[in-house]
Amino acid sequence: MSFLIRQTLIYAVPLMIVALAGVFAERSGIINLALEGIMIFGAFVGVLFVRVMQQAGVFDVAKEMSNYLALQGFMCLTMLVAALLGAVFSLLLAFAAINLKADQTIGGTALNLLAPALVLFLIRIIANQNTLQMASGDAASWFMIKKAMLGIDSDTSNFFVDTFLNKVYLSTYICILVFIVLSIVLYKTRFGLRLRSCGENPQAADSLGINVVRMRYTGVIISGALAGMGGFVYALTTTNCSANGDVAGFGFLALAVMIFGNWKPLNIAGASLLFGLFKCIAASYSSIDINGDGIYGLTTIGLNANFYRLLPYVITLLVLAFTSKNSRAPKAEGVPYDKGQR
Amino acid sequence: MKKDGKLAAFWRKDATRTVMASLISILIGLVVGAVVILVTGLTSESLSLKSAWEGIQLMVLGLFSTGREAGTLTFGFNGTNIGNMLFRATPLILTGLSVAVAFKTGLFNIGAPGQYLAGTAATLFIALEIPSSVVPPWIIWILAFLGGMAAGAAWGAIPGMLKAFLNINEVLACIMTNWIAANVVTWVFDVSNLKNVVENTKTGYIYKTTYNNVQTPKLGLDKLFPGSQVNGGIIIAIVLAILVYIMLTKTTFGYELKACGANRYAAKYAGIKDKRSIVLSMAIAGALAAAAGSLYYLSGNTEFYWSTYQSLPDAGFTGIPVALLAANNPIGVIFTAMFMSMLDIAGLQLTNLTAYNEYITDVIIAVIVYLSAFSLVIKMWISGRKKRAAAPAEPTAEPEADKAETEPAPEQTGETAAQKDAAEAGKEASEQ
Amino acid sequence: MPDSEHTDSEYIIEMLHITKEFPGIIANDDITLQLRRGEIHALLGENGAGKSTLMSVLFGLYQPEAGEIRKNGQTVKINSPNDATALHIGMVHQHFQLVEVFTVLDNIILGAEDTKLGFLQKKEARKRVEALEEKYGLHVDLDAKIEDITVGMQQRVEILKMLYRDNEILIFDEPTAVLTPQEIEELMHTMRNLTKEGKSILFISHKLNEIMEVSDRVTVLRKGKYVGTIDTKATSKEELSRMMVGRPVQLVVEKGPAQPKEPILTLENFSVPSHLHKGDAVKDVSFTVHAGEIVCVAGIDGNGQTEFVQALTGLERSSGGTITLCGQDVTHASIRSRSQTGMSHIPEDRHKHGLVLDYTLEQNLVLQKYYEPRFQNHGFIRFEEVRAYAEQLIEQYDVRSGQGPVTIARSMSGGNQQKAIVAREIDRDLPLIVAVQPTRGLDVGAIEYIHGQLVAQRDAGKAVLLVSLELDEVMNLSDRILVMYEGEIVGELDPQTTTVEELGLYMAGAKRQNRKEERA
Repeated sequence: MSFLIRQTLIYAVPLMIVALAGVFAERSGIINLALEGIMIFGAFVGVLFVRVMQQAGVFDVAKEMSNYLALQGFMCLTMLVAALLGAVFSLLLAFAAINLKADQTIGGTALNLLAPALVLFLIRIIANQNTLQMASGDAASWFMIKKAMLGIDSDTSNFFVDTFLNKVYLSTYICILVFIVLSIVLYKTRFGLRLRSCGENPQAADSLGINVVRMRYTGVIISGALAGMGGFVYALTTTNCSANGDVAGFGFLALAVMIFGNWKPLNIAGASLLFGLFKCIAASYSSIDINGDGIYGLTTIGLNANFYRLLPYVITLLVLAFTSKNSRAPKAEGVPYDKGQR
Repeated sequence: MKKDGKLAAFWRKDATRTVMASLISILIGLVVGAVVILVTGLTSESLSLKSAWEGIQLMVLGLFSTGREAGTLTFGFNGTNIGNMLFRATPLILTGLSVAVAFKTGLFNIGAPGQYLAGTAATLFIALEIPSSVVPPWIIWILAFLGGMAAGAAWGAIPGMLKAFLNINEVLACIMTNWIAANVVTWVFDVSNLKNVVENTKTGYIYKTTYNNVQTPKLGLDKLFPGSQVNGGIIIAIVLAILVYIMLTKTTFGYELKACGANRYAAKYAGIKDKRSIVLSMAIAGALAAAAGSLYYLSGNTEFYWSTYQSLPDAGFTGIPVALLAANNPIGVIFTAMFMSMLDIAGLQLTNLTAYNEYITDVIIAVIVYLSAFSLVIKMWISGRKKRAAAPAEPTAEPEADKAETEPAPEQTGETAAQKDAAEAGKEASEQ
Repeated sequence: MPDSEHTDSEYIIEMLHITKEFPGIIANDDITLQLRRGEIHALLGENGAGKSTLMSVLFGLYQPEAGEIRKNGQTVKINSPNDATALHIGMVHQHFQLVEVFTVLDNIILGAEDTKLGFLQKKEARKRVEALEEKYGLHVDLDAKIEDITVGMQQRVEILKMLYRDNEILIFDEPTAVLTPQEIEELMHTMRNLTKEGKSILFISHKLNEIMEVSDRVTVLRKGKYVGTIDTKATSKEELSRMMVGRPVQLVVEKGPAQPKEPILTLENFSVPSHLHKGDAVKDVSFTVHAGEIVCVAGIDGNGQTEFVQALTGLERSSGGTITLCGQDVTHASIRSRSQTGMSHIPEDRHKHGLVLDYTLEQNLVLQKYYEPRFQNHGFIRFEEVRAYAEQLIEQYDVRSGQGPVTIARSMSGGNQQKAIVAREIDRDLPLIVAVQPTRGLDVGAIEYIHGQLVAQRDAGKAVLLVSLELDEVMNLSDRILVMYEGEIVGELDPQTTTVEELGLYMAGAKRQNRKEERA
């Protein structure tokens, strides 16, 4: 059970944070189809940063001193760097969509094509292969939370410790925290109110002196930062901190989660847990032991591995089919704002 | 003066501006590619400035590369490269058509990779499972080709139906069906007996169709371009492009499809069955994308890596820039597909002859897609410049209307400002 | 900003010699408008006269090429709506600038929020708004969402938005278009209240009755030019309309008495489901339209007319009842089969339904006919026939465009777009014409033309079902009026014998006939 919850969280958290990235863009009126591309870019930037820092010997010093707190700090710094460059990358979308009033779907698709191309081009030149890995060691040994760090004896085993402190990354909790903070910002602050008004009725916002262009830029930049960060967190927690120009459709799943969650943070959190569960089953169905009796329930059913891999996508489609009638997108999303049209 | 008028008329022609916009997009794409090569060349200690210059040369002229002699790149006519370009253009023409047809109906078919896979799978099953000892190979070929298209049509119709009946965004539906196709195809080949066990040099591949004596005829093209993989498929692709062009521009069916794309509500108002049009358009798009996969693997010298659940075929995605660059014109698609496959060849030369790699061509393609997102702006920019040069040719309009008021309900959702500007520029000339 | 309280200028706002050009069009040509402190000043002009442009200049949305704006006698520069707000200028736009999914309170504070560390302080805001509601008698439920309240209430929210920002100059842009006669009365009352409290009001309208009733002075614009400013007391409706149009206007449509013949369209217990709630938007509607008469469905916007038309023409499903067209039951027929049975349709929204804007004019003119044998041969379009037909219609109905049949519809003016639709629908020569808001947003010339065409069709023996929100159109054009209120037909009136006031009572639901008993 602990394993299941842990694994689900590993998949759910990037989904959740990237779906929130979608919310910030769409609530400001810009469809961000480029989440996938920004994640890919963020993952690459994060892994590259870790690699370069390792090569510079910074991590080794910290590790030799058993200063795990410093290592956690480095991880946070890497998340920040990925977020920063994700934001920069998303400016391409913002510029096309806001200044040039481009077709946002095509613009987003372009970024989804550009990110893997650029990333693979560079990875090949840097690493001479198609995957960029850490310079040494693996993600777990460098960055997982050590129980000792929290003053807990490493032999301690109870449900809480097993589930939430054993073999987990701090990034998971940082993401959850960021998610909560930004959800509050969206609903309880002046900025949030203004941002949402731009996605619903930019003409009205403009007539009240709100700078629609600036709001939309801000929305897309926040979106890019979250997606970039989410991309690195995905790479860190699911692919052992490596980048290969691919995040397995996570960005698109996040879009589906966003629609399923009706553009509302609380629903999105729920939806990501659901999708995380299915992703987790697909990835590790053969090692899930629900009641801890040593019987791996899902393998005994005898279904093909392909079936479990298929599941998240089929479920997404079904969920979309059933929820589409009730879903309510921000009214002005995808429509370029033009002052003359008021 | 008269000559001026002709020139101005030439510039005013929409087609001219469209072609110009595409050429500018290509140019900017190539410049960005060159800059990326240059920057990596300058920043990486293992790469020299000379290698960067070579990279840029190959990126542009890769098609005419004849290798390397005494350390210098050589260029000239290369029949093999051109033949291979035509061979690689074949699927791109078809996926480009697929995306273009859907665009004309107002749909963004990002599902071409999945439809391509569906077509590939159906074709390979038919081509390999019907024994050529019983049925003549040419009949098997036809069955395999048509079967592939039928499978693609069915696969394309799924997001079409989701869009038409449940109003699910077709982009998301297409992405999901892509991954479902990738998984299903892996699954069915996984349990099939078509895995190549004869040539044990390679694992994970399906038999070539030549294993069952099924192969697209070469039609003498191999004589024209010796050493290349080109075959009759390119002719079929071009014929299909012409047929699609006729369908879209000359028939009532095309009129209905385009009406749905331009304004679904007005089409419905006029009694056109909008939902049927959307499903049909996606089915046709699916069939075309499937034909791409079908022809590619019927060539006889290509083999399919069946465990494809982690990746989608590039040919499907490349259909998007092919269509966008051609402004969704089926005839234009033939040329833009050739251009894309030329880049492809250039990429191969780049990998083979320099320290750079083929992904730079994907960067260029992505830049071109990015630019085509606002191709209207580029078009406006071109015409704006030309108009200023040709002014004051336009008659001044009567100050009849204050636009803000004459259009009290500008139901212009989805319409870009550029289009509006274009309309207003037209308005100047109208209504004397 | 000049100190507003201590000047002795007679005018609070002056717009002097304003000129604003758009490419090819001079929207405002040397226009002067002076607003006295505490007056209601009407700005009168047709669609396209330049009223909205002038107000956009005042509101900082456009920068004029020439002219200056003064507040309290001092020149000011207004570069954005923010500057206008800082000068305490506020505006109720014709299309309300409200966020539908937000609450009333959120809409009022949006853009002028009180915050602490960035967090919204809604309690204080609520107190202030409640005080304003009390002072001006403008009560609205602050926690309701905009999409759930009536248009009249939405307008109150717009007024409260201005008051919340302490605006002194209030602009009302065509505020009565969407209101019932009773709501209009209330609005006039509110406006007078506001001037009593020291506010100055600019009232934009083309409705002479309202201007005569409420304003102190009137400024008239025509085709972008300034015509004059006069005291309301010293003028008459006739004079104002002459100033507005530049020639004497026929305020009444010229037509003889109707001669109804056989029934063409019969509805029995017709109902249509609502999009907004679980019930029906149109309830149990029954009536008949005969050949040779114009029957008008009148009512305030949003009382089920749109749903009614959509279901009648087949764009949506009905939930009950029957439609009989030319003797055939078409209740469940497709759109095309209804149209082939004998129904043409001039739609409410010419951009959404009426035209494929990216198609050429000729392609649009055959939108209802492209599949007929004349225009196609085995699925291939006969282009030369399409061209010939288009040229004939363009000639016959005087549709003007830049390049004739190959003009892209989007580039045509609204009036000519509508003419093209009218030409297409009338030329189909079908027994029933359903015309929905056929003159919305057009200038007087085009309105006269379309009214004339509809009357001509009636006299040629067609049945015309008109759906209109414009009281003048309803009273002048129709032979019988059916009033729709909350999806029901609440009264059948004869325009010859009824008054606008009575019509208003029906439209507002204050009065109703029991039609079923009458017929029985």
